[in-house]
Amino acid sequence: MRVGLLPTEGGGTYRFAILFLATIGILISSLPVIVVTIMSFSASEYSSFPPTEFSFRWYLEVVQLFTNEDPSSAQSVVDSTLTSLLVAFLVMVISTLVCIPLAYALARSNRNLREGMELLFTLPLVFPLVMLGIAFLLIAESLQLELGIWRIAIPHIALVLPFVLRNCLSAMNGISVEIEEAAISLGASPPRAIWDVVVPLMKAGILAGLIFALIISFNEFTVTFFMYTIDVSTLPIWMYSRTVSSLDPATLALSVFIIVVDVFLVVLVDKLIAGRGNLF
Amino acid sequence: MTNTHLNIEAVSKSFGPVTALNQIDLKIERGSFVCLLGPSGCGKTTLLRIIAGFEKPTAGRLLLDGTDISEVPPHKRGFGMVFQSLALFPHMSVAENIAYGLKLRKTTAKEQRERVEELLNVVELPHIADRTVSALSGGQRQRVAIARALAIKPKLFLLDEPLSALDAKLRDNMQIELRRLQQKFGVTTVLVTHDQTEAMMLADELVVLDHGKVQQAATPTQVYRQPANSLVADFIGAANLVKAEVDQNGQLALFGNTFKVAADHEPGTAVSVAVRAENISLRPAQANGGSAGRVVFARDLGAFKEWLVSVKDQEIRVRSSASDASEYQVGDLVHLSADPARLSIFPFTGSEDAAN
Repeated sequence: MRVGLLPTEGGGTYRFAILFLATIGILISSLPVIVVTIMSFSASEYSSFPPTEFSFRWYLEVVQLFTNEDPSSAQSVVDSTLTSLLVAFLVMVISTLVCIPLAYALARSNRNLREGMELLFTLPLVFPLVMLGIAFLLIAESLQLELGIWRIAIPHIALVLPFVLRNCLSAMNGISVEIEEAAISLGASPPRAIWDVVVPLMKAGILAGLIFALIISFNEFTVTFFMYTIDVSTLPIWMYSRTVSSLDPATLALSVFIIVVDVFLVVLVDKLIAGRGNLF
Repeated sequence: MTNTHLNIEAVSKSFGPVTALNQIDLKIERGSFVCLLGPSGCGKTTLLRIIAGFEKPTAGRLLLDGTDISEVPPHKRGFGMVFQSLALFPHMSVAENIAYGLKLRKTTAKEQRERVEELLNVVELPHIADRTVSALSGGQRQRVAIARALAIKPKLFLLDEPLSALDAKLRDNMQIELRRLQQKFGVTTVLVTHDQTEAMMLADELVVLDHGKVQQAATPTQVYRQPANSLVADFIGAANLVKAEVDQNGQLALFGNTFKVAADHEPGTAVSVAVRAENISLRPAQANGGSAGRVVFARDLGAFKEWLVSVKDQEIRVRSSASDASEYQVGDLVHLSADPARLSIFPFTGSEDAAN
């Protein structure tokens, strides 16, 4: 007879406590999503929760925002979305191109160096985002260069590097030196061995890193808030400017779109790294 | 006639202050099967990795057919290697694994297909070409790894304890098969192992390594019958190392019997005598005389029986064949006698007590 600490099929000792905590956890983390989703279907101009009538009018308005030019706002939602997508794409590609060789080098280096470097690349996570924003702003201003889209892309790369690196590193962990040597003994030059054997085996980790970079960059607000200009702005900044004076239910409808895409991507990541990597 | 294929000349390897290999000289004959045998940490894997090119020797050089290959990078050496972990490529099918080396050699798809088919037939796995590596059993993986290394028609075939992960019965089958394959292809082979039965079964030449040095390089029979020193005698087979003294007449007393020893052992010197468990016989003793011992451990292993006999302050291992009807129980008093033709005598080095 097994007496488990964890819930088993028959009901473990702590089943009740675990269920209770899980319920609270799920509620806290999903409540905002639930509220936003319900409100986006409201028929009323005024944002009160719960809504009394339901409609799709805000979804229609989102479609209109994207199809009709809106002279009242400084930057159109279309421009912001395109900028966001372009930034996310650049961040995704560059951070991955940096992290694949970096993860390889770290995984094959000695333990102390590896741990030190990992810590170094994790630093953007522990800095307060507001401070990071100010710091990047100071750097950008002191450079006195026309950075264009890179004003936002470079800080985003710094922010996503720890996530991408972690994924690439955990993908590297399972790849033994012997498997590379096997390719070399069969006649592959060392770069060829990496390309033929190491990179394909890292694939799941690389894809997970790509998706993380995409999601984080596309949703980033705090640092971007310091960096955006009239010409270069992102969708989260546009949504904020729409709601800062009075809540515009259209942005809630737009959020629901983004959430759906994000959830799809996260599920994809989960499938990719199932049991093999760590998200963080 | 000697036909040296690989000549290892004064190869040394140090890792920082640690000397892994110390002045290794070895000539490997063309087409021979050489086993590097030794306890873990003896440097055998390092030597194999130097041959493969994955480690650079600190000193010395390697000559392949008389050409110095010390500076040739591993991917240009053309040696097939089977790794301890097998290191099959998990993202490729069996056929792709075997064809990988051929693909790098710019052979046509047709040639690759034919060679893969040929090799899968040789390793008796003709129907698994399209399977993934993860779908294979341990023995199948083993064969695929061997086929992959042989596919490139290697100049040397190197194996790093490839059979250590298999269970005993499968390992025995694979040893026979490996030997057959090697003879069929006539490829010069170097295998690293710590398993002396495996080494004796496979090798044309057995190279016993210990403390970073070649202790003995000879045929398995020679290594077994005439170990070069007490380290080899101790490592190969179940040998007893007994301290003894050569008396003034050049005779040696062992278990109460005296033998004439070769003249190169000075009278009065201490020697250590290596005598294998199966070369000692027991007969019952009546009283605990000077040469009698007491059985302290007895077991019947089916193929043979084994006893530990306490003589003076040493425990001597004794083996008899299963057909031998003698039964000795723990506590019995016995006389020991050793076959004088099967003794090896070495200068006493002081390590003999530790060896027992």
